[in-house]
Amino acid sequence: MLLGACSGPQSALDPAGREASEVALLFWVMLVGAAIIWLVVIGAAMFGGKWQKQPLSERAGLRIVLYGGAVIPTIVLAALLVFGLRLMPMLRAGEPELRITMSGEQYWWRVTYAAPDGSKVESANELRLPAGRAAEITLDSVDVIHSFWIPSLAGKMDMIPGRTNRLVLHPERTGIYRGVCAEFCGRSHAFMAFPVVVMEPAAFEAWLAREAAPALSKADNGAFLANGCGGCHTVRGTQATGSIGPDLTHFADRQSIGAGILPNTPDNRRRFIAETETLKPGVRMPSFGALPPAELGAIAAYLGSLE
Amino acid sequence: MRPVFRVTPRRALTALAGIAALGLLVAWSGIINIGASSGHWRITSWALHWAMQNSVRTYALFEPKPPTDLDTEDRIRRAAGHFETSCAFCHGSPLHDQPRLAAHMTPMPPGLEDAARKWRPRELAHIVRHGVKYTGMPSWLALQRDDEVLAMVAFLHALSQMPPERYRGIAFGPTVPEDPVLEGCARCHGMDGASKDGAFPVIGGQSEAYLLATLRAFNNATRPSGFMQFAVDGLSDGDLERMARHYAAQAGVSETVRHDDMSRGARIALRGLPEADVPACESCHGASSRRNPGYPRLAGQDAGYLAGQLRLFKQGHRGGTGYAHVMQKIAGRLPDDAIDAVAHFYAGDP
Repeated sequence: MLLGACSGPQSALDPAGREASEVALLFWVMLVGAAIIWLVVIGAAMFGGKWQKQPLSERAGLRIVLYGGAVIPTIVLAALLVFGLRLMPMLRAGEPELRITMSGEQYWWRVTYAAPDGSKVESANELRLPAGRAAEITLDSVDVIHSFWIPSLAGKMDMIPGRTNRLVLHPERTGIYRGVCAEFCGRSHAFMAFPVVVMEPAAFEAWLAREAAPALSKADNGAFLANGCGGCHTVRGTQATGSIGPDLTHFADRQSIGAGILPNTPDNRRRFIAETETLKPGVRMPSFGALPPAELGAIAAYLGSLE
Repeated sequence: MRPVFRVTPRRALTALAGIAALGLLVAWSGIINIGASSGHWRITSWALHWAMQNSVRTYALFEPKPPTDLDTEDRIRRAAGHFETSCAFCHGSPLHDQPRLAAHMTPMPPGLEDAARKWRPRELAHIVRHGVKYTGMPSWLALQRDDEVLAMVAFLHALSQMPPERYRGIAFGPTVPEDPVLEGCARCHGMDGASKDGAFPVIGGQSEAYLLATLRAFNNATRPSGFMQFAVDGLSDGDLERMARHYAAQAGVSETVRHDDMSRGARIALRGLPEADVPACESCHGASSRRNPGYPRLAGQDAGYLAGQLRLFKQGHRGGTGYAHVMQKIAGRLPDDAIDAVAHFYAGDP
């Protein structure tokens, strides 16, 4: 129970990337160091109060103040500073092998991959990375300050409107992790998350090539278009070209819907369309619960076909 | 030496309590005649009217400032039919002064020929919107509809100079059809449901599903409107269905817009304002083989009506079909000049 938060897809103590490993190591060094210092101080206090009956001479007292109050803390803090500064050059880790832009919007993530041929591939609310390769994430925001944090992979970095921040990730273990917005950004701040899928490099390349292609779905998109979904959402290769909300071209491939709030299942797809504002207060998308059930079902089915 | 009567706090309180008790006794005894037939004493009438005028003058300060072009023809026409059905019964009209029954009310509802001279526009707006207690004057059915209140004020301004023929023309419409259900609609909207120079929305050619959902929304007050909630009051769902079917079958609005237009309004309609998170109007309202029939047709609609409704959506005062909240969200992001631009585009204005 006590260790419940120490592993799993969203834990800085169960690192799956180089930056997070360093952060975890720093944490353990600090924890052990702090524990030792605490024991020494408490031990000295007990010794002074309980067993040492004679007062110390003035000379001995001053010596304790000099060593315990100035010399030892200086050495310990200097060592920690060197240990911490050593991590900094990693922030500008050479030429990254992959560039991705993530833009925060209330309350979702616009994700743009730079494909090997230089073209841009837009996706949303999910980040896929190849294991063992450096990926540079360019972070910005279009509305308010958000913060990008994947505890299993690295420390957090703010996303500030009008400013571009960079963060280099070195994921090392394949698996599915969870990223979150770590800066209060409005009513649905707590519902602004995203799955992070770290894949084998070959699988990642195949996935990116598929992601770059237009939608392959042969399912009927009549209900999707007739009810106006295309005004805000793009499904590449169709008449839906809206740029206000998340790109849905390969929606069925994604782990979650609503920016990490629900598993991507047929029931949840339907529920999110009908009860958007209940599931995500303050969201830009209106609820479409007034649609006839058949239309709701048709839209949800179409989304489920977008592989 | 004569005894001196001193007013002490205790005596004053006792006297006040005595007067209050006397008042209660009078009210309890039932000696006050509440019958309208006896009228008021002159002094009571004067005092009540004086207090009412003072109250109206003070509370009129809370009315929004009327526009400089208040007395427009479309405002005057918009309120005329409603005046005939809901006001003239007590206040009389150019066709019928001093209705007999109203003369037996206490206080007696005044004729309104000189209302514009007696009251400033904001005072009239306050009376129209909030009514007057203890007089039988009701408040407006939809308090939030500034635009409807202003239309009625403009009509009252025009009333003093209005010849009976003109009043008949705008309050009853040109021709009265022999149809008890559609007769009421046609007085304002005509049998063809056309705009009448901006006084009314174009309802001809609208989808039947949208018209029926709208009429039901007026009937259950989810779309606030003093005019329309009153007009559909007491109608059966069958009547509403007949109305929707009739007007859907007329020529009027359509789904087809010009795609060669380069105006700002056209850009918003066809491509939206992505930087303001406004999707293209056409993504819902445009032509499509299986467009949602609950979304209204906009091409050919009156520009003033469209802009007015978008502003109501923006203020959160426009209800309607189950999709009204979609437009509340989107209109809330539309800048004011964009509202006018897009309204003119759909009206087909050059």
